[in-house]
Amino acid sequence: MTQPILFIALPLLATFFTGLTGKRYGKFQSAVMNLALAGTVLISAYYVSAFVSGTRQPYTASTAGSLPPFSIAFRMALPEALTLLLINGLGLLGLSALKTTFRQKGTLSAVTYLLYFMALNGIVLTRDLFNYFVFIEISSVALAGMVLFKESGRCLKAGFSWMMATGVISIFLILSAILIYVRTGALDIDNILLTDPLVLYSGSAGAFFLFLALIFELKPFPANGWALDVYENASPAVSAVFSGAGITAGLFALYKFLPIVGDRWLFPLIIIGLVTFLFSNILALKQHIVNRMLGYSSVGQAGLIAAVFGMGVLSKEDMFFIAASLMAVHALAKGGLFWLSHHTGYTSVYEWAGIRHKPLFIFLLGFYIFALLGFPPFPSFFAKWSLISALAAGPYGWMMAAILLGSLLEAAWMIRWFGFAVKGNEQTANEIQKTPPVYTLVPALLLLGLILLLNRSRFAFILTNAWIPLLFITGFFLLDFLPARVKNTFMIGGLGLYFYFLYPTLTEFRLIFAIIFLLGGMILLLAGYHYKGRRIGFYPSSALMYSGLVGLLTAGTTVEFFFWWELMTLGSYFLILRGKKSLPHALSYFLFSMGGAYTMLSGFGLLAAANQGSLALETLSSGGPFQAVIFILLALGFLTKTATVPLHIWLPGAHSEAESDVSPVVSAVLLKAGVFGLILLMAGMGPQSLGRVNLYTALGWLGAITALIGNLSAIFEEDAKRLLAYSSIGQLGYVLFALAMMNHLGWLTATVFALNHFLIKALLFLAIGGVVMRVKTRNMYEMGGLIKKMPLSFISVMIGIIALSGVPPLTGFAGKWLSYNATVLSGWYFQGVIINFAGLVTFLYCFRLIFTIFLGQLKDQHRQVKEAPFWMMVPQIILMGVILFISTVPNVALKPVGTFLTRYFPEHALVWDGPMARSLYGYWNGYMIMLVTGVVFAAVFFWLFFINRKAVKIKQFNIVFAGERPSRPELTHFAYNFFAPYQKALGFLVAPVSTDFWNRLSEGTHAIAGFIARLFSGNGQSYVIHQILFAVLVFFLVLGGI
Amino acid sequence: MITITLTTGSLLILLGLYALLTRDNLLRIIIGFSLANTGVHLIIVSFGYLKNRTAPILNDTMIAAGPETQIVDPLPQALVLTAIVIGFAITAFLLVFALRLYHTYGTLSLSKLVEKS
Repeated sequence: MTQPILFIALPLLATFFTGLTGKRYGKFQSAVMNLALAGTVLISAYYVSAFVSGTRQPYTASTAGSLPPFSIAFRMALPEALTLLLINGLGLLGLSALKTTFRQKGTLSAVTYLLYFMALNGIVLTRDLFNYFVFIEISSVALAGMVLFKESGRCLKAGFSWMMATGVISIFLILSAILIYVRTGALDIDNILLTDPLVLYSGSAGAFFLFLALIFELKPFPANGWALDVYENASPAVSAVFSGAGITAGLFALYKFLPIVGDRWLFPLIIIGLVTFLFSNILALKQHIVNRMLGYSSVGQAGLIAAVFGMGVLSKEDMFFIAASLMAVHALAKGGLFWLSHHTGYTSVYEWAGIRHKPLFIFLLGFYIFALLGFPPFPSFFAKWSLISALAAGPYGWMMAAILLGSLLEAAWMIRWFGFAVKGNEQTANEIQKTPPVYTLVPALLLLGLILLLNRSRFAFILTNAWIPLLFITGFFLLDFLPARVKNTFMIGGLGLYFYFLYPTLTEFRLIFAIIFLLGGMILLLAGYHYKGRRIGFYPSSALMYSGLVGLLTAGTTVEFFFWWELMTLGSYFLILRGKKSLPHALSYFLFSMGGAYTMLSGFGLLAAANQGSLALETLSSGGPFQAVIFILLALGFLTKTATVPLHIWLPGAHSEAESDVSPVVSAVLLKAGVFGLILLMAGMGPQSLGRVNLYTALGWLGAITALIGNLSAIFEEDAKRLLAYSSIGQLGYVLFALAMMNHLGWLTATVFALNHFLIKALLFLAIGGVVMRVKTRNMYEMGGLIKKMPLSFISVMIGIIALSGVPPLTGFAGKWLSYNATVLSGWYFQGVIINFAGLVTFLYCFRLIFTIFLGQLKDQHRQVKEAPFWMMVPQIILMGVILFISTVPNVALKPVGTFLTRYFPEHALVWDGPMARSLYGYWNGYMIMLVTGVVFAAVFFWLFFINRKAVKIKQFNIVFAGERPSRPELTHFAYNFFAPYQKALGFLVAPVSTDFWNRLSEGTHAIAGFIARLFSGNGQSYVIHQILFAVLVFFLVLGGI
Repeated sequence: MITITLTTGSLLILLGLYALLTRDNLLRIIIGFSLANTGVHLIIVSFGYLKNRTAPILNDTMIAAGPETQIVDPLPQALVLTAIVIGFAITAFLLVFALRLYHTYGTLSLSKLVEKS
């Protein structure tokens, strides 16, 4: 028979006992401490299992054999048991992290540590208000003692501020206890709540003081400077338990005592919580000291969870799930991060580059960061989903906005940190071992356990449906020690098998996109055979991305769709981050993706609210009164992925800085995820208008403008890969334009453009990537005359640009022909003019691509250049084959597409007659065109071949300068600033307006952060002033009727 | 009687907080804290006071006379004892901090401490 009192008694006994054995912290003392905490862990585990299995009922135990208020009541139920398990588990882990500290500082330091946990246990268990005050005081004093584990003046100052601030809190708390006692004659929650609510809640100063004390324990913005100084200056191993265990206990106390405070304080609680969440993350942006950033994040998360407690709109079950998930994930992940910081000893984010060659550390850092950010499959993902869905059901748009904006900012600084850790180049003095210590590993294992626990939640069906891909991903994480070629084979085989199994279940667009994602992925993966060694991290990331992409196709519910969408984003972010200089570009890709994902999340939330919580994807057709808003929110998410102007600025950098075999994947394959989303959305929701604006007309214009700006930007680019990246923006503009027409021909056009873009961008990025690998530069003015050195690449690029620019006979022409027909059909003449103009611009950059790289004079340093590597050429040859095949017999691909499109748009379908298609306005015969073009080409080719015999051969340097004096080396190359006259005429169209806008937004946010951060001066007195002003503010807000 | 102690207690709290916020010397800040604490203790005791009654110390005569009509509310008295002990511990701890800050920085002035990094 166990008793809750053991949670207090065990640590107390251990501290008394070891205190008697002298100052030395040896093996014996360590064993006693470990046993005490292990005991509390075991007992809480026992209670959890007993409550879950139902062998015990929740009960309240009183001390000293009498009844409250003359004794203290401890409550034991499932929430208490779970919280205690979490807290004491962290305590046990933290003990090993602090081992060396205890050795240096002696047994008394360990005693302080154990007393802190004793106090936290008491805070969780006690039902008595005054007793709560006692435990709060013990925990405060113990924490101030632990701050001194690190000997520095800053720690002393932080500790003194801490004591001052907590002293003021304790005054509030003790006053509230006595005032509530006077009013109700009771001190324990249960008896207080027996009081007549009219007496209890009417204008009670006690409730106000209690509310303040509870809130201050969670360090609300801006009255939290004292806690942040502790986070920053204390040893990270102390911050780990302060954040992980301390916040958990504080939140539990809030949850427990909130009924006494009364409902009128719930709304202020939400506001305080959300303001804290939002501003903490804004402030963290400006920081580069990791421990302080984590401190901001801790108070922010505490604010978010506190706000959840205040949300009466949540059902009890929902609230329990959301709060428990967020609390557990926060405690474990934050503990893990602080312990990593403790082990490495790195203070600033730049220093974290020290782990960049330690895959296990990078894995752990990423694991904890993405758990905190609420990525699938962590419980925090489902908590966020449930929270947003629940809020979407009522008029709480501003709460959703605050939560999502705060999350986005949180992602911004966390991902920046992660980026520096993976790609930074700072030299650090502190060299660390390859294997992480146990206490940094265990939280990750526990988080994995939490994921499995989700099988008991209402989201269990997702894990049931997703176990094959999840296993696939996990497998690649575990097998990452194998050579790259073996993993490449596994990956290709895995994708192939998955396609084979999925094939019978896929229809219509899902089949088309499965072909692009899976078969396309397999072809592109062939290039991976070129890489030797292990390529650590590449295959797990690819597995994440491909699983995410396929998951979009198999998802039957909005939550599954979003689940996979996030995993896809995550995987692609890791892939892009692998490029040599891709650090800032990967960050901007990630942030735009997250922004898009969050608007999508709100859209899905509103959708579920309009359908009584139904999550099926089919509910897209019934959006209720907010359908236009839902449409816009979801569209924003997808348009971010397809890089539509003005959400496009992440693409050029992200696509061009990626590795040679990653660029084709993220461009050719990944962008199609956005296209698939748009198709799903448009097919599902149908015509939409907001007020008098037809949203599809707006999208059509957006597509046309994107096409123009993308293409124009491409022609002025010196960098071959950036040129291709801008070209992608333009191409996806066409796709959007065609989709927005919402008729048969438009959608057929979009399908052709999407397929075509996949084929040619894969081909071109591979070909150019191969060239870049050989000539070691991406600037076209440093290349030239490579046709003789790299003839196969030349052919690739030639086929690619013919298909891209839409001249006969290749696939691009089909798209163009269809798009003219569709434009005329829709009557979109103005937009059509822009699209046609953009098409002309395509010729310019296509010409530049082939002319400046392969023709002209060979550079001196490129005389030894060889053809692109064999494995880079293999996928190109396959792709060329596919392009030629489809161009010759387009009906093979297009006729089935047309057939199923008639289900959506029965009118104006093409009439097929063998390879000949007939529309309202004319006909097109791919086979004939191929034949005619082939004959003409052959004729010209042979004619040139014939007359070429008469040509005079001259040496390369047999030239004279024609009067110009080049001032810079690149000016001697004709390819530099190739389209200067056009730039003079049209350059204003591609002025970086969007880039400027986003940069200003970012700078503005940082400036706000810098301004507010001045509040936190390190002066204990100003912190107390913040507290008192905060109290006054809350008082007047509530008095004012909020 | 209750009014006097309540007023005194409240004034002490305000006085203590004022000292806490405005004094520059660490020791004075700590004294301010102690003052505020004393005020809180006074308030606790005065809330438990019942007119014309005596301290809740039980002896034979008291038990015979029926303690519920003789003594003041014993609970605040018990609470205030705990609160005094805790207040004492915290004051002592604050003093230790002040001492160590003085040893490290050679000053007890808060504003000078903040400037030194």
